Amino acid sequence: MEFCFLRILKLTMKVLVMLLLFLGNIKNSTAYFSSSSEATMHTNNWAVLVCTSRFWFNYRHMANTLSLYRTVKRLGIPDERIILMLADDMACNARNKYPAQVFNNENHRLNLYGDNVEVDYRGYEVTVENFLRVLTGRHETAVPRSKRLLSDEGSHILLYMTGHGGDEFLKFQDSEELQSHDLADAVKQMKEKGRFKELLIMVDTCQASTLFSQLQSPGVLAIGSSMKGENSYSHHLDSDVGVSVVDRFTFYTLAFFERLNIYDNASLSSLFNSYNPNLLMSTAYYRRDLYQRHLEEVPVTNFFGSVMETIHTDSAYTSLTNKNFGGAKTKTFLGQSFSSSDINSVRNSDDEDQFNNLTAEEDQHDEAGQCIFCAMDSGHLWSFILGNVSTHESVDFFVCYGLVLMLPLLVFSTWLSL
Amino acid sequence: MELDPKTMRTTKPGLKPVILTLIVPFSFILGFPLLWKSVEIYRSPLPFRGIEAFSSQLDSEPVHFRCQFQAMFLGFNFTASNDVAEAIINKMSLLNPNSSQCGNCGAYEVSVVIDSGSSCMRTENSKAQCPFKCGEEVAFFGGKLSDEDVDELLRGCLGNVDGGGNVYSVVVVNGGDKEAEVRAVVGKYRHAWILGRVLEEEALSRVAEIFAKVFMNGRSEGDSIRAEFMPVGADGRIVLSFSLLNAEPRDWIFDWNFREIDEILLQPVIQSLQPIANITVESQVLYHTQKSPFSYWDEVLGSHISSTKDLPFFVNSNEWHLDTSVAAGGRSKMLQLVVYIPSAKECPLRLELPNGDLSNTNGFISPMWGGVVVWNPQSCKKDLESKDSVKHMISTQDIQKFSGILMGQLRQLLGLKSDNLYVGQSGTYVLQGSEKGFTQWELDVLSRNHVCFNLYSCAATLGSLSRLVQSLPRMIITDEIGKKVMISLEAAKFAQSNASAGIYDASASSSRQARSLAEDSFFHPSIMSISYYSYWHSFIIYTPYFLLVMKPVIFPVLSEWKRYKQENMKFVAWKAKAK
Repeated sequence: MEFCFLRILKLTMKVLVMLLLFLGNIKNSTAYFSSSSEATMHTNNWAVLVCTSRFWFNYRHMANTLSLYRTVKRLGIPDERIILMLADDMACNARNKYPAQVFNNENHRLNLYGDNVEVDYRGYEVTVENFLRVLTGRHETAVPRSKRLLSDEGSHILLYMTGHGGDEFLKFQDSEELQSHDLADAVKQMKEKGRFKELLIMVDTCQASTLFSQLQSPGVLAIGSSMKGENSYSHHLDSDVGVSVVDRFTFYTLAFFERLNIYDNASLSSLFNSYNPNLLMSTAYYRRDLYQRHLEEVPVTNFFGSVMETIHTDSAYTSLTNKNFGGAKTKTFLGQSFSSSDINSVRNSDDEDQFNNLTAEEDQHDEAGQCIFCAMDSGHLWSFILGNVSTHESVDFFVCYGLVLMLPLLVFSTWLSL
Repeated sequence: MELDPKTMRTTKPGLKPVILTLIVPFSFILGFPLLWKSVEIYRSPLPFRGIEAFSSQLDSEPVHFRCQFQAMFLGFNFTASNDVAEAIINKMSLLNPNSSQCGNCGAYEVSVVIDSGSSCMRTENSKAQCPFKCGEEVAFFGGKLSDEDVDELLRGCLGNVDGGGNVYSVVVVNGGDKEAEVRAVVGKYRHAWILGRVLEEEALSRVAEIFAKVFMNGRSEGDSIRAEFMPVGADGRIVLSFSLLNAEPRDWIFDWNFREIDEILLQPVIQSLQPIANITVESQVLYHTQKSPFSYWDEVLGSHISSTKDLPFFVNSNEWHLDTSVAAGGRSKMLQLVVYIPSAKECPLRLELPNGDLSNTNGFISPMWGGVVVWNPQSCKKDLESKDSVKHMISTQDIQKFSGILMGQLRQLLGLKSDNLYVGQSGTYVLQGSEKGFTQWELDVLSRNHVCFNLYSCAATLGSLSRLVQSLPRMIITDEIGKKVMISLEAAKFAQSNASAGIYDASASSSRQARSLAEDSFFHPSIMSISYYSYWHSFIIYTPYFLLVMKPVIFPVLSEWKRYKQENMKFVAWKAKAK
């Protein structure tokens, strides 16, 4: 009876699954194609650094990420182009013997949590959803610029992730998982929308290489700390802090970069060759089949630094200098000599500040003329005067006429008040 | 006959209870499509066909911009006006072979007016009057007035009488001294003039060159639209962020009257660029901002030199906190325009070109990022060690000096050159500059390029969106997205029709709208939440409900079927015995 029931249940489940699959009409998504042209220049660099763990015993993951953060900043990627996702619960952890300090080495020479650490996503904000939102760029309107990956088709992006992973997944703060499908899907969408020119994914977790298995977008280069079935180990334990402070893969990556400065052009292949499986206790894995360039020719600073494409400005746009910048610098009293562009300031004579005078422009003569023209009745006289002003440029003449014209007005108003 | 009621029965067992219990699972199966429909995800219908048609249309035939050219000859003895127009078109197609490319004038027509003094001819499509009054005025005033005044004069008479406006015109006046140089000037509107003694053939080549090289593609040598010269954000906005960097405030502190720069210099520029981008301006003064590379002292030149190969490192992004805007939206493009004041130790600081010359602008740009100008204080003497630092205002002359360079950089960032002389194949042309920063014909070139870029980008984005939506059948598509896609498509069509009618401004702004709406719908935050939601997720979510429902539905059927079989056995047994 029981057995029979189970068999029937199995059958119904099968039918149900078939039905689901059939109705869903799954289309394979190979229709994607790369829309960006090869001709685009490499114009900027971005870095997305993610630490997917929290809690004290994962100290080393935060130290890994902060070390990478420090390195890319030192090599020239500005803070506004680094997205740092960090649980950020170590520096002020009650168990931290060195409050507000984080070290990646037991010699404690370098405080990673020193100055100018700008964490973009902290604590519980480090979620799979937010991570995928950063990559794909689908944010709510209120999300500020500093939390967005504002890359374009000329960007090289470094994506560094560390935490606990397994076969084709990476744990996010012990509550969620990022699957290799999710990552590949996000990267595909980024490529589709021209959000990067080249992307370097660097992952330091157990079985890191499995995370890259679903990637299929061109221009992506991936480095993982370990192969499938391998663990990635920590480098050493700091007995003062009480936990391991850095992972092996990151430690040797940093060791490579410590020798470099902003001008160096060590190639990516020299970085890849620097990993020694005996020291790592795992096999670093590179996936380079999606990447077109030869690794020997690509300097590491293409991803870890920021090199600007600069073009010299050959000539200034001189026409602008004809403008009357400060043309009315010398503000004088009536009767003294006027600079021709002060006509406007006569019009706005209640505006005493110098700034308004500066806005007077030569070519506003006519406008000024028209305006006065429409305000006053004796149009012919005014246009005559103004014509004279613009041809002879004698402002004294204009002022005299102005004073003469004031007289009838004065007479008129006194007559009214009588 | 003895009947054991436990093992036998005389009547055939009824199927009614079995059928009754079967009705329930059967109706369940019948109701399943209904249930499936009820858990279906709402997807606003997207115009997939329309999107496909739009992008395939763009691929097959690029956007055609209508351009009208008009050549006016005064004092020439051409025989037939149609032949002249034909000759100009031929020369133009030689000079600009890829005119069918997007952003160029795909469909152009040339009209000709020839006034030889005694007779006057014109092609049918010409709007100009015959005899050609305007030309006579130019011929009369040409030598006497300044270029600027001639420009205004031409604008006045061509605009009102002879079909100016959207028509690009060149006035060629034959005459003057034999010795005098031929003067060819391109004005700041849509016309140019050539004065002096020119032969017929030369006049034709010059006219064709002005049309094809200057008016048509803004004297850019590159033949394609380059994405890096389209620094307009996905929402159609540009934020111009001006920063004044005091490298070492202990030496001196400079401040500027930015409001003055904004009002006098920038507002006209922003106004004129309105169809292409919605521009806002911000400014800031920063302190303690040393540049990255070291410079060296050159005794001969008497200044500190920073060579061009160091320029990629010039921007010290760790100390220059430029991107501080709070007003800039998430997808706006930010262009940094930086004025760098070196410290007393490095003053004066000059940039050296690769060929060893000193840069005359002392500035450089980085495409899509912005530009930097190094400005050296007049005297490089440090302020005396006074406790309270004095703020120096940068004088208006100096502002004028570097604002020209900044303007040149902005033009360079948009892909335009700034020198006022164009040396072509058939001669040299003086280019009038505009106090608005961009001349009318340059704005036309920019508009055409941007319309093209926007439409292609819009088509690509909508195409990506439709592929994405079709590949993820469980993705929610809100009505908002659907609506945006519709409006975007409509705006794109509007832009196309305006382009072919030759109304560039309207075309540019609606193409901008099309692009920004397409981007909005692609980057809509609601798309994200469900994109990694696979079938197995939904199966696992619904299975518990189905399992619970299955129990009362399937168990009665099973038990009834079992009972029926038992009873039937009894009946069979009785029948066998009865025989």
